[in-house]
Amino acid sequence: MTSFGIEFVPMELFWRTTYYTIQAERLGYDSIWITDHFNNRNVYVSLTVIANYTDRIKLGPGVTNPYLVHPTMTAQSVASLNEVAPGRVICGIGAGDKTTLEMVGVEMKAPLRTVREAVEIIRRQIAREKGNYDGKVFSTTAGARFNFRANESIPIYIGAQGPQMLQLAGAIGDGALINASHPDDIERAVTLIRKGAEKKGRDPKEVDIAAYTSFSVAETEKKARKPVIPVVAYIVAGSPPFILEKHGIPVETAESIRSALANREWGAAFGAVNDTMIDAFAVCGSPEQCTEKIASLFKTGITHFVTGSPLGPNIRSSINLFGFEVLPHFKEHP
Amino acid sequence: MEYRELVRSIPKPMRDPLSVKFMDILLEAKESDAIPSSVAKTILYYWQRDQLASEAGLTTLFKTVVEADPERAIGVIDDFGLEEIKLAISS
Repeated sequence: MTSFGIEFVPMELFWRTTYYTIQAERLGYDSIWITDHFNNRNVYVSLTVIANYTDRIKLGPGVTNPYLVHPTMTAQSVASLNEVAPGRVICGIGAGDKTTLEMVGVEMKAPLRTVREAVEIIRRQIAREKGNYDGKVFSTTAGARFNFRANESIPIYIGAQGPQMLQLAGAIGDGALINASHPDDIERAVTLIRKGAEKKGRDPKEVDIAAYTSFSVAETEKKARKPVIPVVAYIVAGSPPFILEKHGIPVETAESIRSALANREWGAAFGAVNDTMIDAFAVCGSPEQCTEKIASLFKTGITHFVTGSPLGPNIRSSINLFGFEVLPHFKEHP
Repeated sequence: MEYRELVRSIPKPMRDPLSVKFMDILLEAKESDAIPSSVAKTILYYWQRDQLASEAGLTTLFKTVVEADPERAIGVIDDFGLEEIKLAISS
């Protein structure tokens, strides 16, 4: 199975994001992921509006985190959304972004355990399981059940980048969202997800493995590369040293980008992004180049490709380019 | 100004590319924050049904785009060589 998703950051007006999602659905995308950050528009309001204007496409948070949103509330949100879009809801959850959490004084403690327990609680809530849940991070009493029925299970995708979280995704996720764009990183991630599944006695094929990439397509490579620069600057600034070293990016350069971003010195931060960094942390180029890169990613074993921000220099045109010139190489129109 | 009448005077083969240009303006315009929610919903209604180039869809788009960014709206009308319409919305 080969699926394609698209991510939107709800910085735009609700109607604009909805316009793009209608366009994406029409062109044959399979899933829509809306990011969940406190400083953007609310993810579930966005998803509800989108659900009302779409018919087929799957949709969900991509990704929420259990530090800012208690898993009972995530369960309530996705179960409610499922009433608006029956059978179309998916739920992406991860540990979140450390920098964003720190902005609101939240420490990212025990991320593996926190995500695992959150997933367990979400599933229990949706299934209206009886009894207490006594985790080390979260606990609920027997009385914490929904007063309504969710009717069906909702696939949970775990957003992961580090080795242990990738294995956890393989062990307990219905899907995994690999936060990477380079074939080497994705191949390594796929191996770890499969290892996690096998250790848990699962068939790795049960896990829908998605590459959740920074993506940009335009008529020419030059036009496509420009919009990814700010995104790549943030990725470089937030990447651990071993990832940077693997891609030949000096840790000191990443430090200087981080410092420039922290001081809102955009010129210095974005000016330091070079081609090596873009190639390591983004999938971008002309439609032909993107087709080639995506084909190489599918060879690593992924089953789902997500075009994440920034999408391209002009969102509407880039969605069209992808839908008309890239997607047909991989799947038939729905 | 009766927008529907103006739309009726637009040759049918031009309506689809014109609706795309108008939509680009709305998607890019800063002033579009001021588009009333009810109008945005109407545009989405037509878009969902692929009817933005229909007489009713284009009328909604046309009126909205002129209110959101009159300068660019006139520029597009000019590019399409729709002189009479340009005069009507410029006056």
